[in-house]
Amino acid sequence: MLSPRNKKLGLVIAWYVVIILCLIITVAPFLWTIANSFKENHEIFAQAKDFSVNTFIPGTTFSSYIEIFEQGFGRAILNTAFVAAVSVTLGILFNSMAGFAFAVFDFRGKKLLFAIVLLTFAVPGDAIAIPLFMMIRSLGWFDTYTALIVPAIANGLIIFLYRQFFAGVPAALYEAAKVDGLSWWSIYLKIFMPLAKPVTIGASLLLFVGQWESYLWPLIATPSPDMQMIQVALSRFSTEFSSIWNQQFAASTIAGLLPLIFIYRYQKQFISALTGVDLK
Amino acid sequence: MTLLSTKLARKKWLAPLLFLLPATIGLLAFKIYPIILAFWDSLYFVSYNSGEAVREFVGFENYQFLLEDFVFWRSVEATAWMTVLINPIQIGCAFGLAMLLQRQSRYIKLFRTLFLIPIGLALPIATIMWGLMFDPNQGLINGMLQTLGFEAQPFLTSQKQALWVIIFIATWKGVSFWMLFLLGGLQDIPKQLYEAVTIDGANWFQKLRYVTLPMLKRTFLFVFVADTTANFVLVVPMILLTQGGPRQSTNVLMYEAYRSGFNFQDFGRSMAIITILTAITLIVIAIQVLFLGEKKGAK
Repeated sequence: MLSPRNKKLGLVIAWYVVIILCLIITVAPFLWTIANSFKENHEIFAQAKDFSVNTFIPGTTFSSYIEIFEQGFGRAILNTAFVAAVSVTLGILFNSMAGFAFAVFDFRGKKLLFAIVLLTFAVPGDAIAIPLFMMIRSLGWFDTYTALIVPAIANGLIIFLYRQFFAGVPAALYEAAKVDGLSWWSIYLKIFMPLAKPVTIGASLLLFVGQWESYLWPLIATPSPDMQMIQVALSRFSTEFSSIWNQQFAASTIAGLLPLIFIYRYQKQFISALTGVDLK
Repeated sequence: MTLLSTKLARKKWLAPLLFLLPATIGLLAFKIYPIILAFWDSLYFVSYNSGEAVREFVGFENYQFLLEDFVFWRSVEATAWMTVLINPIQIGCAFGLAMLLQRQSRYIKLFRTLFLIPIGLALPIATIMWGLMFDPNQGLINGMLQTLGFEAQPFLTSQKQALWVIIFIATWKGVSFWMLFLLGGLQDIPKQLYEAVTIDGANWFQKLRYVTLPMLKRTFLFVFVADTTANFVLVVPMILLTQGGPRQSTNVLMYEAYRSGFNFQDFGRSMAIITILTAITLIVIAIQVLFLGEKKGAK
């Protein structure tokens, strides 16, 4: 018979074993990807067959990185950075304005309009990609940055996040300012927005990650090589040059690491914006 | 005086309008209108004669063709299997992980951070990474299996295994995300509830059955609906890895819609499938709203 103390120790050990197994499944593929991005293809294949610690230790060649940049991967990074920067700027401005209006003003149709806002973030984006494609073609936006940026700006979830935050701002804080003759625009810009910094960080990350990780939409909306976004460029290495593995690993490493750095830095705000959960 | 008050009244109406206008136009034009457009275009036959689009109103003919089409029903079948398998698997794993990560320990912050990795890695990256892991000839997984003395598996090239591989990849990518909601829910359960039943002598399973699960009902319902609607339009692994094959085993409706439009230029058919998918999604969401009674669960 186990003593209670031994039983407790056993449970703790079991917990560590299970969690570490889960961690291996979670992290190993990405470690393999990073390690392989610094190897020659024949090394990758040989080490996958003769599976050992070396399989997960980075090689020493940068050739795959040089090759992907020679094939226009840098252009895809710049495209994505530009599209993401504009989407974040306009998305924060317009969605926070709408959130402000929902929190501060009373107007007819407010409930209905807010219900529409909630509905829009319940419908997954990929479902409307094909009709949206027909739309931007008739608008003449096909294969332009406009097609990538404009449809991504208005975002129901971000309006919701700002509304929730702004609804908690005490009226006393801005009523005095209103009496002093400050305009609603100044109140929004000088009182509300500075208070909402955590929401803005989380929402910016959502918009940035949304563009950085979008695939189906840029795949169909901007097919020309000069307009490629990072995920589309990455997938080209997997579909057109499918036998050259180290390039796929190098492109995946670059495309994967950058958002991870931001998410790691701002994980609290990111989780809170993404899920509404504040972890203790 | 009257003039002044009308001016004030107009102003009162003007400020909310200006603040709301840009985002509202964006939502209506790019989130709501495409749903309507999909339905509208599904009533047309669209063909391309030397690049020139020819549109012809055909009523519900596209739907009628779908119902008579063997490929469509095969696709419905694949989608049904996908839905029935992937959602319980993802939610089950997410709950297990949330239970594991709920425990306080010295390294818990580090563990939780590491489990954020799949959330940060885009689905195309996850798909390509795992696609190479599962490569039948040179992939790591077959390498491991053979090192351990097992037979190499066909994975994505097998009609039986392809859907399971995609489920695995999507689950790897999705579990951490859904786990966050459940972990948040677990942390919101008041400690006193557990203390009370511990005094009554409840064991681990009874605590789970009578405290944890009932307290998480709303969170579970939300995660279930959100996960189901998200997986319903899962298409990236099919585009990148299987093209719906082998033998249509992974040709889910969303991929069939994509393929109809972009491979076969039959946008009427594509839009009819999108309309069916959107309608089912909206019904699922409506059921959720009914069950929850209010919109709080949407967050």
